[in-house]
Amino acid sequence: MPELPPKKVGIVTCSGEELPEGTVTRLAALRVLEQLRPKETVTICLPLFLAGGEGDRAFAKFYPTIAIDGCEKRCAYYGTAKHSNEPAASLIITDLVKKHGLAKPEGLRKLNESGRQVVEIAANEMAAQVDSLLGKSWNRSKGQLDQSNDNDQVEEATAITCSCGSGIPIQKVVIKGQEITFIGLPLIFATFQEQKKEPSDKTLDEIMEMVKIYNRIEPIDEPDVRPGIQKEYEEYFRKNGK
Amino acid sequence: MSKAEKINIVPCSGIGKAFGSVSRLAAYYITEDDHPSDSKLVPLALLVLGDKDTNETVLANPSITIDGCKLQCARKMIGECGGHIAKDLVVLDVYREHPDMKPSGVAELNEAGEKLARALADKVDSIIDQSLGKNGGSKNA
Repeated sequence: MPELPPKKVGIVTCSGEELPEGTVTRLAALRVLEQLRPKETVTICLPLFLAGGEGDRAFAKFYPTIAIDGCEKRCAYYGTAKHSNEPAASLIITDLVKKHGLAKPEGLRKLNESGRQVVEIAANEMAAQVDSLLGKSWNRSKGQLDQSNDNDQVEEATAITCSCGSGIPIQKVVIKGQEITFIGLPLIFATFQEQKKEPSDKTLDEIMEMVKIYNRIEPIDEPDVRPGIQKEYEEYFRKNGK
Repeated sequence: MSKAEKINIVPCSGIGKAFGSVSRLAAYYITEDDHPSDSKLVPLALLVLGDKDTNETVLANPSITIDGCKLQCARKMIGECGGHIAKDLVVLDVYREHPDMKPSGVAELNEAGEKLARALADKVDSIIDQSLGKNGGSKNA
């Protein structure tokens, strides 16, 4: 199997620098990423969905994502949905403050008592959401939760806190004159090449099975996709030795 | 640099690295302590959302971007919005000028990180003063 990023939950914060609630989102996320669920979570800076590459924009499709927002504008939720994929879960700090009857958080640099309390509440809620999402099967080709509860993906005990710049490996392939982005293709090719699997119809069948795990390919489109993938793998195999 | 009425300060939204925290703290020094009336903090999240008011602010005033890493989200976002970048700074470059101020900690910066943020803010203060046609340097907190 290719060493594609393991099953984790992505956390995207609004980070809203102009609001104390934005500070709450950041600190709550860090509490989850560093202390509560370090091995199960990963994050990305929200602006990378625009400023980064296609690998960054694949983030919320690849990982089920929790968007945590400071206010009802919901920049993290809507920004992620617009530029990457619909988050699997969300939290809004102003709602949590209201629900728990807390005073408004204050202090952009140093939160007041209410702010610190809501950090803890939000972090614990997020940790529970992480557990819930990890218990469900995430379909990386569709970018949504599967209806069944099967969880056949293996977790890996590697702590990755920040995904900025690492992105998800992608490759563009020309299919019927149109450039299509395939998630995870470089790693899939690398794995098959390492196994010294020469380009052939049988190898292509195996590659296509792997490609379909991470990319949505309609059955009707597959005959058009196969020659493009075949050509790219032949090129990859030729360049990277036998 | 042409004279402006107000300067946008745009820190990155870095969450995973200490350099992102330095950029944010420097932005707070500038907009809350040093230049509260002639600078404005612009959060990148609102630009990602395409918030109309924030876009107008970016178009109306020159921006100083402060990025925590080489990906330079702040600089790229302001460029994407068509805003004028008066100066683009990267925390790492300022750290190279002050190698004794090695930042660590994300949720809470260490003392060296706070000093680096102060040095960065001083640098930006000078640019703001120059841009607004003011004499004198920074107003240290």
